[in-house]
Amino acid sequence: MKYVSLVLISHSYEIVSGLKKLLNQVQPDVSVAIAGGAEGDIGTNALDIKKAIESVYSEKGVVILFDLGSALINAEMAIEMLEKKENIIIADAPLVEGAYAAVVEAGCGSSIEEVVRASESAKELAKLND
Amino acid sequence: MIEKEISVIIENGLHARPAADFVKKVNQYKSKVELVKGEKRINAKSILNLMSIAVKEGQTIKVIIDGEDEKEALAFVESFLQSGKE
Repeated sequence: MKYVSLVLISHSYEIVSGLKKLLNQVQPDVSVAIAGGAEGDIGTNALDIKKAIESVYSEKGVVILFDLGSALINAEMAIEMLEKKENIIIADAPLVEGAYAAVVEAGCGSSIEEVVRASESAKELAKLND
Repeated sequence: MIEKEISVIIENGLHARPAADFVKKVNQYKSKVELVKGEKRINAKSILNLMSIAVKEGQTIKVIIDGEDEKEALAFVESFLQSGKE
């Protein structure tokens, strides 16, 4: 694959499902997979996350974004379970703005490091500026 | 280096989708491309920088471009900000 892929994790399926729609409109070339909720309820599930990573795995890399703390534990477990663990990075970024920045950066053909940096800089973004 | 004031005509300004499109295309030029709005001067090749100045329809912004393909890059920026197309 030519581009870095993204995996979005949320406690709510609807959050990541809506976010994926937005990202696909913004940048249709970048593969985005989601893992949201746990057995139809609120939560996260390491197996679902593992499957999501595998579904978009790219030699160029996979960047993972998550919403709230405990999703991180399952994301780390999911990576542990993978056979190919190279080039998978969990970004320390806000989910919506971080994913938006990441998809644009990835769509420029950037490296995984650049995509992670773009998504993490979303923390510094001032949303009100006039 | 070239500098030019451009009136933004792109309908509704650079919101999420056109901004992403703009960044992707401007990254294809080698030159350094910066936009100045008010006191802010930003790197136009970074989506978050671009979001931070919120370019709106009807505003005038200054473009500063420096590099070997600056003329081509300016032509692109100008036409994009005025029509949303290349």
